[in-house]
Amino acid sequence: MSTTSLAQPVKKAKKPKELNAVSPAANVIMHAVFILLCLTVLIPLWVIIVASLTPEMELIEDGYKLYAKSLTPEAYGFLFREGSIIFTAYKNTIIATLVGMALSVVSISLYAYPLSRKEFRFRRFFTFVSFFTMLFNAGVVPFYFVSRQILKIDNSIFALFLPLSFSAYWVIVMRTFYTSNVPDGVIESARIDGASEWRTFIQIVLPLAKPGLATVALFSAISIWNNFFNCMLLVDTAEHYNLQYMIYSTLSNARFLSEMATQVSSLGETIARLPTNAFRMAMAGVTMGPIILAYPFFQKYFVKGITLGAIKG
Amino acid sequence: MAKQKALNIRQRGSLRTDLAYLSMLLPGLAFMFCFNYLPMPAIIMAFKRYGLAPVPKDFPIQNRFIYSLFVENPWVGLQNFQFLIRTPSMGDYVRNTVGYNLIFMVVGTVVAVAIAIGVNELRNRLAAKFYHTVIFLPYFLSWIIASYVVYAFLSTNGIMNNLLVNFGGATIDWYRTPRYWPFILIFANVWKHSGYSSILYLSTLTGFDQEVYESAAIDGATKWQQIRYITIPLLLPMIVLLQILAVGRIFGSEFDMFYSLPNGSGPLAKVTTTIDVFVYNALRTGAQLGLPSAASFFQALVGFILVLTTNFIVRRFDADMALF
Repeated sequence: MSTTSLAQPVKKAKKPKELNAVSPAANVIMHAVFILLCLTVLIPLWVIIVASLTPEMELIEDGYKLYAKSLTPEAYGFLFREGSIIFTAYKNTIIATLVGMALSVVSISLYAYPLSRKEFRFRRFFTFVSFFTMLFNAGVVPFYFVSRQILKIDNSIFALFLPLSFSAYWVIVMRTFYTSNVPDGVIESARIDGASEWRTFIQIVLPLAKPGLATVALFSAISIWNNFFNCMLLVDTAEHYNLQYMIYSTLSNARFLSEMATQVSSLGETIARLPTNAFRMAMAGVTMGPIILAYPFFQKYFVKGITLGAIKG
Repeated sequence: MAKQKALNIRQRGSLRTDLAYLSMLLPGLAFMFCFNYLPMPAIIMAFKRYGLAPVPKDFPIQNRFIYSLFVENPWVGLQNFQFLIRTPSMGDYVRNTVGYNLIFMVVGTVVAVAIAIGVNELRNRLAAKFYHTVIFLPYFLSWIIASYVVYAFLSTNGIMNNLLVNFGGATIDWYRTPRYWPFILIFANVWKHSGYSSILYLSTLTGFDQEVYESAAIDGATKWQQIRYITIPLLLPMIVLLQILAVGRIFGSEFDMFYSLPNGSGPLAKVTTTIDVFVYNALRTGAQLGLPSAASFFQALVGFILVLTTNFIVRRFDADMALF
């Protein structure tokens, strides 16, 4: 707070923050803390990328470091040349993400719309039907048996996206989005003009709800891309693995092997011949790569989705 | 005339309107039926001795699982739960689940609120936005990626050990030393989630009336006093709401994190195994399905009761803070 800006009402109107801003010293301390926090995010990602570009022998001799003496894209080349299993996992993940994203946008936007319409007679009942799934969850064991024994989606690509396609949470967010962003008057005038409910929804409501749809699409894509549990639970066949499970299983082997190597020195030689460490870090790199590259462009939708979810409907 | 008719439709809802709306619900209903409601009857597994039996030809539903569970398998009362309680280390699993959740609630809330206030107070808006964008990023990375990061730092020739050697210390075998892991797990959890929850707090903060702060400043309130007596009380409804949600999940855990970060290392099991991890391991070894089904049933029921109870209590205090 400074008395000079108090005397200047014009400035105050322009930048109300300045009147009551934090002291310069506190400001510097806050910057320092935030830079430290940002480093806890950026350094780990940096480490993975550096390790994936470090020659295998250097990784084995010097271990993981923040910098490499020399860089080589060898691990990435190896990944795309011989790693047919990586290719399959990548393909599965991309297909599952795209199909699952489409399914969730369609099912969620359709389910949420009638719940936002006051004239729908069963609005309360169907709101409860979806809300109840957030309150009560049967648990992993029933889900496991129903998926495998009744729905029979195990050992197929369906296991990677079908259980994740619909979410009551996003139904509530979309419903809030419709009620706050699609004016009642617009829908009413469409109906007065004789448009059916489906036509009103597709031609009038959906175009107005695009930012909401984008948010649902992005969050569902991320949840399918990052999902590891359903693959581990329902998929036993390597040709249907997704990326996350694929890289999880190789990391567990890596740790096991390197611990063995420190105990039995002769094993060290065997491991040295495989570009295991850099190769695995390259796998992590290509798994998180698309998300990190897309993140800056879509960040505002993510923020929007989270803040919308916080509004009680 | 036409307008009058349309208004009537809007007010009362005609059969045609309702049918159109019902047809829109169908895809969502199909998903919820398959993955939410269909598994619900199967929770009776917790009270049965499960085993797959062949279906007789005259049984109407030709599905081995449905026939076995609802017809063939004998009821065993609470036997599965008795076995569950007698499972060695069950106390550890419950302690880990509830204990970590409580710590995450406290530490996570403090860090997220601090980040939100900091981002809100920084003079340089561009820098504030940049910081927040970066801090939010881990939320979108999987726990598997996080476990790679942990591995790069803590493996025998990882970054931490290299640093220790550089500073003249001895290396630590992190994956075999349980005492560090509570801290590693807490750090990892806060690292991944504080960006997300701080967005919720920040969106509440930016909605506040700035004049309140200005008049407080004119009255001589320091920044610290403003935070203590204005910001925190204003954030309280959001803090309470998030705690209700967290209490409802207190017997659950983020499976991916507890399963992937320790990387299956045996010596760490005592401090990293939660009920969810136990359920998964018991389910996949498949020897005694009664145990995971009983544990799973317990989690589902207690979670349900906890959400309803905390919401009820909160509503008694302040209806606006309650979830429903």
